[in-house]
Amino acid sequence: MNLHKFYKINILIIGVLVMAGSCSKFLDKPPQGQLSKDQVFATDSNIVALGNGIYTYLGDGNFTGGRVQALSDMLGDQLDGSNLTGDFSEIYKRQNSIFGGTRDDMYKKGYLVIATANNILENLQAVSADHQALAKGQALFFRGMAHFELVRLFAQPYGYSSDNSQPGIPLRLTTATNSISRSTVKQVYDQVVADLKSADSVLPADAGDGGKFYTATKWIAEAYLAKVYFQQNDFANAFLYADQVIKSGKFQLDADFTSRYSLGGTKEAILRLPNQVSHFQPGSEFISNWRSDTKNPTLYFTNQFYNYATGDAADKRVAWYSNTIKPGYNSLTKFNFNYMEQPLTHLTEIYLIRAEAGAELGGTTLATAITDINLILARAYGGTSRNLSAGATATAVIDAARTQRELEMVGEGNRVQEIKRIGARTGNNIDRRGSPWTCNGFILQFPKAEQDANAAFQLNPEGGCF
Amino acid sequence: MRKKRLLARTPVLLCLLLATLFSYAQNQTVTGKVTDAKDGSPLAGVSIVPKGSARGTSSAPDGSFSLTVTAATHTLIFSSIGYGSKQVDITGDVVNVQLTATNASMNEVIVVGYGTQRKREVTGAISRVGGDKISEIPVPSFEAALAGRAPGVQIIQGNGLAGSGSVVRIRGVGSISASGDPLYVVDGTPIIADPFLRGNGGAMNQNPLSSINPNDIESIEILKDAGATGIYGSRGANGVILITTKRGRSGQPLFTYSNKLGIATYTKKLDFVDGPQWLQLRQEAWLNDGHTGYASLPGGVTWAQASQTNTNWWDLLTQKGFIDDHSLSMSAGTSKLKTFGNLTYSNDQGYLKNNAYTRIGARLNMDYNALPNLKISLTSAYNRGTNKRVHAAWDGGIGDAMSSALPIYSVYNSSHSDYYRTTTNPVISLNEYRRRQTDQRLLGGVALEYQPIHNLFVRGNYSIESTRSNDDQFNTPQLDTSKHTGFAQRSPSWGKNETANLTANYLWNPGEQHKFNFLLGTELQDYTRKGYSTDPITENTDRPFWENGGEYKRLRDSLLSAKVHITEVAQERFTFNSFFARINYTFHDKYSFQLIGRVDGSSKFGTNHKHGFFPAASAAWNISDEDFMKDIPRLSYLKLRASYGIVGNANFGSGLYYDKYNRGTNTYNGLPTLYLNGLGNPDLKWETLHNVDAAAEFGFFNNRLTGEIAYYYKTTTNIILNPGVSPSIGFTSIYRNLNNSKILNQGLEFSANLRIIDGKDLKWSVGGNIARNQNKVLEYELGPDAVSGGTNDTRIVKGLPVGVNYLVRFYGVDPSDGLPIWLDKNGKQTKTFSLDHRTYVGSVQPDYFGGFNTSLQYKGFELSSLFTFVIGGNIYENSGKYQFLGVSKKFWNFRKDFLDHWTKPGDISKYPRLVADAASYPGVPSEDQFNSTMFLRSASYLRMRELTIAYRVPRATLKKLFFKDFRIFATGTNLLTFTKYPGGDPEITRDFENSQDRNLSPNITYLTAPTQKTFVFGINANF
Repeated sequence: MNLHKFYKINILIIGVLVMAGSCSKFLDKPPQGQLSKDQVFATDSNIVALGNGIYTYLGDGNFTGGRVQALSDMLGDQLDGSNLTGDFSEIYKRQNSIFGGTRDDMYKKGYLVIATANNILENLQAVSADHQALAKGQALFFRGMAHFELVRLFAQPYGYSSDNSQPGIPLRLTTATNSISRSTVKQVYDQVVADLKSADSVLPADAGDGGKFYTATKWIAEAYLAKVYFQQNDFANAFLYADQVIKSGKFQLDADFTSRYSLGGTKEAILRLPNQVSHFQPGSEFISNWRSDTKNPTLYFTNQFYNYATGDAADKRVAWYSNTIKPGYNSLTKFNFNYMEQPLTHLTEIYLIRAEAGAELGGTTLATAITDINLILARAYGGTSRNLSAGATATAVIDAARTQRELEMVGEGNRVQEIKRIGARTGNNIDRRGSPWTCNGFILQFPKAEQDANAAFQLNPEGGCF
Repeated sequence: MRKKRLLARTPVLLCLLLATLFSYAQNQTVTGKVTDAKDGSPLAGVSIVPKGSARGTSSAPDGSFSLTVTAATHTLIFSSIGYGSKQVDITGDVVNVQLTATNASMNEVIVVGYGTQRKREVTGAISRVGGDKISEIPVPSFEAALAGRAPGVQIIQGNGLAGSGSVVRIRGVGSISASGDPLYVVDGTPIIADPFLRGNGGAMNQNPLSSINPNDIESIEILKDAGATGIYGSRGANGVILITTKRGRSGQPLFTYSNKLGIATYTKKLDFVDGPQWLQLRQEAWLNDGHTGYASLPGGVTWAQASQTNTNWWDLLTQKGFIDDHSLSMSAGTSKLKTFGNLTYSNDQGYLKNNAYTRIGARLNMDYNALPNLKISLTSAYNRGTNKRVHAAWDGGIGDAMSSALPIYSVYNSSHSDYYRTTTNPVISLNEYRRRQTDQRLLGGVALEYQPIHNLFVRGNYSIESTRSNDDQFNTPQLDTSKHTGFAQRSPSWGKNETANLTANYLWNPGEQHKFNFLLGTELQDYTRKGYSTDPITENTDRPFWENGGEYKRLRDSLLSAKVHITEVAQERFTFNSFFARINYTFHDKYSFQLIGRVDGSSKFGTNHKHGFFPAASAAWNISDEDFMKDIPRLSYLKLRASYGIVGNANFGSGLYYDKYNRGTNTYNGLPTLYLNGLGNPDLKWETLHNVDAAAEFGFFNNRLTGEIAYYYKTTTNIILNPGVSPSIGFTSIYRNLNNSKILNQGLEFSANLRIIDGKDLKWSVGGNIARNQNKVLEYELGPDAVSGGTNDTRIVKGLPVGVNYLVRFYGVDPSDGLPIWLDKNGKQTKTFSLDHRTYVGSVQPDYFGGFNTSLQYKGFELSSLFTFVIGGNIYENSGKYQFLGVSKKFWNFRKDFLDHWTKPGDISKYPRLVADAASYPGVPSEDQFNSTMFLRSASYLRMRELTIAYRVPRATLKKLFFKDFRIFATGTNLLTFTKYPGGDPEITRDFENSQDRNLSPNITYLTAPTQKTFVFGINANF
């Protein structure tokens, strides 16, 4: 009996020990469907895929796939927002407060672009030489453009103060997760320019996809440089980069301006986000906010702007408007479709930058400016009848460029940045709602979470606009 | 991987196998009958255990028993709830015993983790609720029947959706982002009870507990302090709910049939103004804002149309639901083999049209005494819950009827040829949308109990919980007009939860006065839940997949074979590997001591903290047995107990401790995508709870008055927080244990039961319990808005309870202009609203809660009732603010209680002037930011939870009949509610976004459907 007892207890103990010994692997069971950092940066294809993921963010309804543009348009002066509710109403009323998921999601998505780009940049050593330039150039472009889009919405514009020392946005150049305070607007713009220039220097001149430009080339970096410099009212640099993009000869103005947002039709896109039904549909928030054929549009125009934009029957772009498709709404029809390929910056804008910058610079560039604006005018009016004469003054060219910019880029979130840029340039308030271009509510509030994570984080003052 | 798992388990099986080979002994079968000493009636369920053994049997309903004992056994111990225990020497093959009612439950055997203990020796805080209490009332899910039954256990019953789950809090909540829900253990297996398996789809959290069959439950033990939950180590912090299912008893086969038939409706609904009144109020708001002419109406509705329409959406969406519940069980046993089987069907239609929860269940539990010292037990159950879902809350349906489905909107177009589709119309989805959620759960286990030598018990248990869940939706072409055929989708997931444990129990009695019980054990748990990489699987088809399983299989298999489209993915996976030990020592049968230690390792824990150690110590003193207490008059029993221990909370997701990337289900330009999906933290570990408990259990007047008073002091540290990071890192969450964080839960519990009249024919008893929990965040360093409960305005603030309401204070209405007067942070009146005025004004945690019951019996008649109550705490009506702004451009239904509003100068009113735009109140940015104490309410209520009238046919009459026992009853639940809460039903469990929301916002309502009120009739018959 005693022997038996001893034997049995021993077996028990051995059994327990064997179980214990097998446990280290047993406890290493992560869920599937997730990759670790080591796994991702083990192959070039993964790193390429990570970059592809960022492209989809650019077309994402929470970020530049319509959200950035819609919130910009709400801050602008073309919309009738009296029936907007919730976050949209606050932003439309230029009294955005500390809470608001619509804004927070956009902010977060913008910074997710930046975080993923930083993640790639910090692990470039893992990328083989073949892919390194593209991986690096893309990541720098993504980081630069995202910082630029965000600083325009969350900070007072470049030119708000003489040294641009007004608070900008947190400048995230690493993947560190600590809270950081806001850099100045100058620091943000300097970094944006530096990133875009670095991107320009390493990105290829051709996407290698037969002229579709579904991935970044040096031209999208330069197009953004043109936009950034133009926003800074730095006309020489804006002209320089717009000029290089145009002279690359890679892009053509569409004969029909309606093909700019369409499925596969545009030749204008400097970077084009392709649509793949059921896999990736860029620009969803353009469609959901503006669409007016299948539903009442969320965003629609004031009578004032509607009359202004449709007042000239000769303008072919009048076809973009309707007040009968949904009675009671001054609708935009530009985005009345199920899907589109989204141009992330198009040649029309680049021509308009070169036109206005060229006129601002004067001298030899004025002639280029006149040719540029006439290209746009001839297309809009179906002939040369509205073209400026070869001897047009710089002021006339600037005026025409600004007018055509508003009409061409309607629904693209452009107007509010023009109110600010022109304000900074001339000191004039061109806002149809009468607000000074410097008023607090013209920019968005930061997500409150920034301050909760760091009590010293400086929020924007609110209100003060009409 | 699979091979390894098998290998890991091999030693357990090996040990058990070998052990069986060595067993031999001589046996004797003892039979007999147990009766009540008072009237000779048979006693069922009496525990009969050979002295020195832990394994025995229990008596059958006719009092008979049969037990095989070894030759070494000379004495049997008989014990039963409410009766004294008795030791009887075995003098022959037949032992007949009479037990005397003591009316004390002190010898009751109750279930503890990995074993049982006599109640007088229990050193931890454990509340027991009998299975009869669980199955007697119709509830959407079994845990709701615990409400008011156990002190310190707060149950907020799920809302009116069929099958919805309750919020269960044991002695408060000490977590923020980790779940505050208890661990559920069924027959020794920790089961999957996560209410967020399907997130918050359709404004309802899937409730895995609803598939558990209440008719299967023998008892529920709720473990509350470290003395009780310590044995569950890293998973004991939120308390443990042990569910023990019924097992066969010796004796002739006994069949039990019980049913319930009845109707369901709602407890309290909100009253809204009708169409004409809504229009009138809309016009009032329009003019108040300085507009002229007729007010604009939403959705293109004209005044002419609106004034001719007066739709009652609530009535269109509700019904009197039918409740239908049948259960047939069988218990039979010989000395060798005991069997319990049960078949159940139940259907709860609820009061929402097209909503129903149907449960079918089958159980087979068997115990086979293969050898006198070897018992093999099988525990198996299959349950299938089918939830016919409807839209609710923010997702539509009855939520629309309380929000944006206005009485001025039409159901059909003017020619009645189609639905009116331009404005909110929940009738469309009622008729044209169908959703079935089917949850199948197979829970099976095999246990071997072997006694190799005297007083040593080795038990090996392997169990598997297999779940399969399909969430099916179908849109008819009428709903989805872009599709010509209809649109079906299915979101499948399936899980496997395996648990294997091995315990050894050794009883050692060195001398008459010393009793030791050593327990040593190890446990492995491995859980995997899988789904498809692309979810849901969809198709344009004319029928839902549940009616067309062949088509679904074809589609799925074609997608699977192509591989690029879908693959199987283990979305959730975790393991636990544990070792534990428990020493119980009883001295003189008066002093009991217990030491527990458990080591838990888990795949959930970060690489830097893979294992944790959790110790607990507790003691009990049956002080009334001391000589110096003997002379205290009327005192029949007094026990003091205390415990201290460290337990953990590991109730959070897995794979959170490393940076994660996932492959996109989308492509970019046809090429694969990859996303950075979350940032991890290798230091992630369990939350740590220091738990102190002290209590006195008492009996007076010959135990006619019994009860317990308990005090506890619990502090949680290393609190897991998910949000509160800077969003400019690109993420808003990283799971981490917060430094310098501490939450206190401290409280008092009191429960008592008094048998006022205890005659032969007439019995009257009352009982009740009340608990006070003080919840306070002691240490916390983040800003006030860093953590919020979902979309609700509840917060975490140092010095205040978890889930404080953080709102602007509404002072009243200025009679001169009807504008609201607010209080700023300093309490100064202002008429300009600002989010900067927000302050801490209330808490969603109650001050007191509990229940009381009474039972009156006269001969065969019984009248019993249970009341539950909550005193103190707040409800925040998150949807109330929009209902008040209903006639603004928010365009919601307007509640009648808001009619007390300002209309002209000089009016003294409760609510301010109506506005057409919330921003017309100075400083209000938009209606979303209109959170103020205007919609903060007292949460106190008293509810008649249950009222039952029953009649049991006398035994004398039954003898002529086929039945051994026959009872008929009528039960009503939630019949009466007393509350000042204006927002309808004060018992609120809304849909939650995540565990943090559930912890912080239990009393926040957002279009929450009121709980059910039911009336049922039924019988219980034994034959």
